Amino acid sequence: MAESEPLIGIDLGTTNSIVATVQDGQPVVIKNRTGQALTPSVVAVAKNGKRLVGSIAKRQAITNPQETVYAAKRLIGRKFSSHPVQDALRTLAYQVVCGQHDDVRVRLAGRDLAVPEVSAMILQELKADAEAHFGRPVSKAVITVPAYFNDGQRQATKDAGRIAGLEVLRIINEPTAAALAYGFGRTVNGKIAVLDLGGGTCDVSVLEVNNGVFDVVATGGDTFLGGEDWDNRIIEWLVFGFAKEHGIDLRKDRMALQRLKDAAEKGKVELSSVRETQVSLPFICTPPGGGAALHLQAALTRDKLEDLSADLCERVVGITSEVLGEAKVRPSELKEVILVGGMSRMPRIVEQVRQYFRREPCKGVHPEEVVALGAAIQAHALVAQQGELLLLDVTPQSLGVAIAGGYVRRLIPKNTTVPTSATETFATSKDSQRVVKIMVLQGEHDLAHQNELLGEFLLTGLRDAPRGKVEIDVTFDINAEGIVSVSAKDRETGQRQSIIVAASGGLTEEELRRIMDEQRDWLVAARASEEVKARRVELDTLARDVVDALTRARLLPGGLGPDVVPRAEQALEHARHVRAGEEPAAMARAVALLAQCLTQLRGGPPRATPGG
Amino acid sequence: MPQHRANQLVEAGLWLRLSGDSDGAARLFDRALQLDPDNGRARDLMAQLQSRLGATDDARAGEGPPLAGLEGDWGAWAEVTAPEPGDPLFVPDAVLLPDGVGAPKDALDLLARDHRRHEGEPVRVGRGPGSELDVLLRGAEDLLELDDHSGAVDLLRRAQELAPEEPRVEALRDRSERTLIAMLEAKLGDLGHVPRVRLRPDDIIWLNLDHRAGFVLAQIDGTVSYDDLFSLSGMTRLDTARILAQLLDEGVIVAG
Repeated sequence: MAESEPLIGIDLGTTNSIVATVQDGQPVVIKNRTGQALTPSVVAVAKNGKRLVGSIAKRQAITNPQETVYAAKRLIGRKFSSHPVQDALRTLAYQVVCGQHDDVRVRLAGRDLAVPEVSAMILQELKADAEAHFGRPVSKAVITVPAYFNDGQRQATKDAGRIAGLEVLRIINEPTAAALAYGFGRTVNGKIAVLDLGGGTCDVSVLEVNNGVFDVVATGGDTFLGGEDWDNRIIEWLVFGFAKEHGIDLRKDRMALQRLKDAAEKGKVELSSVRETQVSLPFICTPPGGGAALHLQAALTRDKLEDLSADLCERVVGITSEVLGEAKVRPSELKEVILVGGMSRMPRIVEQVRQYFRREPCKGVHPEEVVALGAAIQAHALVAQQGELLLLDVTPQSLGVAIAGGYVRRLIPKNTTVPTSATETFATSKDSQRVVKIMVLQGEHDLAHQNELLGEFLLTGLRDAPRGKVEIDVTFDINAEGIVSVSAKDRETGQRQSIIVAASGGLTEEELRRIMDEQRDWLVAARASEEVKARRVELDTLARDVVDALTRARLLPGGLGPDVVPRAEQALEHARHVRAGEEPAAMARAVALLAQCLTQLRGGPPRATPGG
Repeated sequence: MPQHRANQLVEAGLWLRLSGDSDGAARLFDRALQLDPDNGRARDLMAQLQSRLGATDDARAGEGPPLAGLEGDWGAWAEVTAPEPGDPLFVPDAVLLPDGVGAPKDALDLLARDHRRHEGEPVRVGRGPGSELDVLLRGAEDLLELDDHSGAVDLLRRAQELAPEEPRVEALRDRSERTLIAMLEAKLGDLGHVPRVRLRPDDIIWLNLDHRAGFVLAQIDGTVSYDDLFSLSGMTRLDTARILAQLLDEGVIVAG
């Protein structure tokens, strides 16, 4: 029987990403090729021109800041002119430019890349890890996004998946995935809170679970609060201590700063399980004017870290309280509280959450893995058609039209299952109004300009009448693919105008195809380069053996044919020449030739050269 | 001050030894001993070098005529003896030589001039015969003929500072850097291998490394390959290769 196609769930995070699958009925995380569960969501082009993804890219982020892209998730699917992008620009070290359609482009190694292209590089890496795990191609995935992502951001995430060669079966909300991982679709009916404190963001969501249907009733947070803030507090403390002792500011040296960052993160993680950790950074800097390099040694305790970051912990509680307040949910109403994200391991955070909710939060052994596990469960359920676990595709945000006074009238509330349709009748707002403008909006704010404008059109030729006397039917239709069509009809004359709005991730279909072609070419080139590298290693090993055998043959020449030594010398010379090139086939021939010479030098019979 | 000068000569000698110029290194250790006969480090290094050179000579004597095909780009393969771990360490970038050492117009003299220049001595920059650029280029060519690519690269870097647009400098530097990188990479072996740190943290702090070597050493955690280290060091390939070769030579790291 043919094996079923492997399916994966991906948590594409701001700071780290994880891939998981369901194996023998159990959701499991797939470790990356360096044996880690987490792959940093960082992409870089090193100074030697090599594309780097994951931990290796992260480890050179500070020494190569202009060519290292991190936190692309803050930018995906957004307009360049939007507030969140303009806010993010203040903190990013890499260059971000405006694309042709007010979309965001990232400048990397002299090329302007669309954000989905950057995210696709991370997805490609996770896909490759999954393929290494299964030993066969993987092409289908469920990807998670924050609950507050709008259609454009979701579509851009889908585009990233497509560029990476993945068919995105579904985009699901991160808190929903976390709840699924805990099996709450089956075991809980009622409200649950999900507090996700990751590397760069703090998201709080309240879900209503009802017979396996998950409804996001409130979501909020701080997109600039996460583990990195704790790291920075540790770095400041280390830098201050070193400056006091040696009078040197380590932040001015990129290499020192990179090491401080790595050490701070490591120390922070360790302090979740031990009470004290040693930070040891030998040869951290050379004093100005020369001399022996200095070492940084410090003992960091959990108490000290809590002292350094007390305000950050309080912010987490403040944000949680705010989101629950907005949703008018009291902590006592919650059936469960789930802690998600690596930073939620910190004992102080767990304690504060416990105090606030007055209950023990659910926290698995690996809180950073639960979202990916939930995504994997959903991918499995989608294909296995496990009805009770199947999440319905819903509208992530409300859809409506702008009305007089600058307000919004919602026709389709958020979390409505698609396909769906809704019609409402409107009337003219002025006397003798001959034209109405239908502005299609997405969002939850009551004021029109605070929502996202998806499209607009005019319905003209209305009869001359006092205000309120001309009635117009506005109909919203959303099909299974999430494409929204909006029509407006004059009830009296039957005159009709319409618009079709498809969620756009910022890329046109043509651009998407071009990027996909480029990615395919890159993958082919990368594979060829890997082959060249492997052949070079083969050549080096064989050439070393031939050199050794030649030495012995010259010292003890007996028994060898007269042309064996010159032939081997010639083969070595040829190998040297071929090694300098980039041609794998020529290298393979040179390897075969050397192998033949080696056999002869060792006294064996000459063999036919494979392929030559 | 003779002790200080002798120490500088020892550092420079170690530098030359790394670049394959054992004769030059021996000359400097000898000079260091002339200046400071009690310099134990110079004496030990000289003894090591002499025993190694002796072993090489013996090996060569036993082999008869020079072997064809054992020199050139294959670099480390052709070495008769590999450097032993446990040698005293050195700092590649800190090569300073005192006044008045080295034969006139040889590489060492030019390196010494570099030192004097830092002390404020005015220099003549130009392209004609006898100009500093010309002297540097001739010195680099001499060193290249002696297969001392490391010394040549240092001189050519100086020359390029003086004449950034000079194509001859560019070509020579490119050639010598490529050869030097190939030699150092050959010393590292398969660049896909993952090196490991051999020493315990308590022993590491007693090494004599600069902050750049410290940075590279800190990245070696048993998960990254030599190839990865080239990417994440943030330094040029040559500088990274030099540091890795140094760490390997001194037995601080081992190839996985």
